[in-house]
Amino acid sequence: MRRLRLPQKLRNLELFLLLIACFINASAVVLVQLGALGELDPTLVLLGAGLSALVITLHIVLRFVARDADPFILPIATVLNGIGIAMIYRIDIADKQGGWESAAVRQTVWSALAIFSAIVVLLVIRNHRVLFRYTYIAGLVGVLLLFLPLVPGLGKEISGARVWISFGNFGTFQPGEIAKIALAVFFAGYLVRNRDSLSMVGKKFLGARFPRFRDLGPILIVWALSMSVIIFQRDLGTALLYFGLFLVMLYLATGRLSWVILGMGLFLGGALLASQTLDYVNGRFTNWLDALNPDVYEAKGGSFQLVQGLFGLAKGGLLGTGWGQGRPEITPVPQSDYIIASLGEELGLAGLFGILALYLLFVARGFRIGFAGQDDFGKLLAVGLAFVVALQCFIVIGGVTRVIPLTGLTTPFLAAGGSSLVANWIIAALLLRLSDTVRNQPRLVV
Amino acid sequence: MNVSELTLLVLRIGFLLLLWMFIFGIVYALRSDLFGQRVRKMKTDAAAPAAAFPASAVPAAVPGPVAAPAAADAFTPPVARASPAGGNSGADGGRATAQNTTRLVITSGPKAGTEFPLGAETITIGRSSDSSLVIRDDYTSTHHARLMLWNDEWMLQDLDSTNGTFLAGSRVTVPTKIPLNATVKIGATSFELRR
Repeated sequence: MRRLRLPQKLRNLELFLLLIACFINASAVVLVQLGALGELDPTLVLLGAGLSALVITLHIVLRFVARDADPFILPIATVLNGIGIAMIYRIDIADKQGGWESAAVRQTVWSALAIFSAIVVLLVIRNHRVLFRYTYIAGLVGVLLLFLPLVPGLGKEISGARVWISFGNFGTFQPGEIAKIALAVFFAGYLVRNRDSLSMVGKKFLGARFPRFRDLGPILIVWALSMSVIIFQRDLGTALLYFGLFLVMLYLATGRLSWVILGMGLFLGGALLASQTLDYVNGRFTNWLDALNPDVYEAKGGSFQLVQGLFGLAKGGLLGTGWGQGRPEITPVPQSDYIIASLGEELGLAGLFGILALYLLFVARGFRIGFAGQDDFGKLLAVGLAFVVALQCFIVIGGVTRVIPLTGLTTPFLAAGGSSLVANWIIAALLLRLSDTVRNQPRLVV
Repeated sequence: MNVSELTLLVLRIGFLLLLWMFIFGIVYALRSDLFGQRVRKMKTDAAAPAAAFPASAVPAAVPGPVAAPAAADAFTPPVARASPAGGNSGADGGRATAQNTTRLVITSGPKAGTEFPLGAETITIGRSSDSSLVIRDDYTSTHHARLMLWNDEWMLQDLDSTNGTFLAGSRVTVPTKIPLNATVKIGATSFELRR
């Protein structure tokens, strides 16, 4: 079969977009320096150049090992990562932090590590079908990673949630971020193997076919898992993320709305029960529903952070205050959980919607890769991975903008946090690999 | 170096414009994915297909989808003549299976006469560029139909296309087994599975 010239065209498009992406990142850092310092400081620009070099390396690797991969994923991830670093750097300046210990340098180093792991994933996994063989191992690894922070001595509790493990002075790591990839692989493999019994049988009730009682095992196990995350790790967001991921993949595999109804009912019931019995969940709900009440605002662990974030967003207005000219540092944790509020303040509604559009494009590419896929495992995995990014965005940004109760999760690619960066770059690498294997070359064009 | 307010304002708006230009650049590059492939204008004169298919000067472009069943009948004689087994299309040669079918031959339309070998993998047909057989005309949907092996037999499935897929003149509504040498018609293109 004659090899079409399409692949190199895709890679050239990617290179073009990537160069624009690197330019956006560089100009963001320069604008931060002009806005906050009033002068140019070459150190971080040099670091940014290093990052651009790494991204270009990833692009060159793609030219050799995944010629037909999607050309949009890498530039989008690069821009999000770069904007995140610029904002973290901006908050470092406000907090008078500098040098090698500052959060921006740390984030840059983590980005380098994350892009490097993406390259390793692309080189090691030459075909996504190998992941299918490790379905149950992936499931075991996912659950182990999820509960690793509960091991005494290893786990670390930060602001109430016990989702980190610490390596002494080196820093902390959030194994749950990696677990979401392992669990997506497990769910995809498991559902491809077992979906017949979950989709074919059952009684019809109110227009939808409901599953038999004995087929409820998997959904109940995942539900129990996420409820135990709520209870023992005290992390609402992670629980919602994993359960939502399972529910969507189950719906995708079976095409049955009844699973979604059943699952949402289960989760809402569990969350309602948790809000009545667990103090911290109850507090989150109060902060969400009654945020602007002065008593709640003043209370310890009250809605101060949430309302500060909203004030920041309001200050930003349509076009924002400009890089380095707002006061995002007033909000607690402005560089991780609240990076969206910080960006909204400095870039305004226009910038925030730009970032959301980038996420939308990223997720849409993932769905498109799943849709074009020829094998069920690849389809499920691609949509699952893309959906987990989308859901995480919704949980964080929805929490910050007061659409849903606030829960601590990282904004993919943007927020300060090494584990999240590594996990999301691995997701990007897997999507690139999937898009390379599933892309159908036309045999004939009429 | 002191930067004036005005410079900062210009730079701020410039950055937002740059960001949005990047986004619209991606969307522009994606346009065929989002809005479907651009339709190629069909030539209504018979010149192009007649050159490739000298046996009979049948018009390539059928005026509309309603005329498709009749048109499929019109195509049958040259098809039957061309097939080695002979006889009526749709009746000869039995079912197309993985063993007895080796190629897909385009019998009418702009690329009449071309063929490509069939393997074991599914053949998707549609206007989108990720289809195995890309047909770019007014009557083809983005994801129109697919040919797949099921229990070693070739099946034709219509993917809810707007103008329908026709097997030997009748519209395909459920996945249907394809006989050897039977005419499958999609838009203004028809093809057959052959030995």
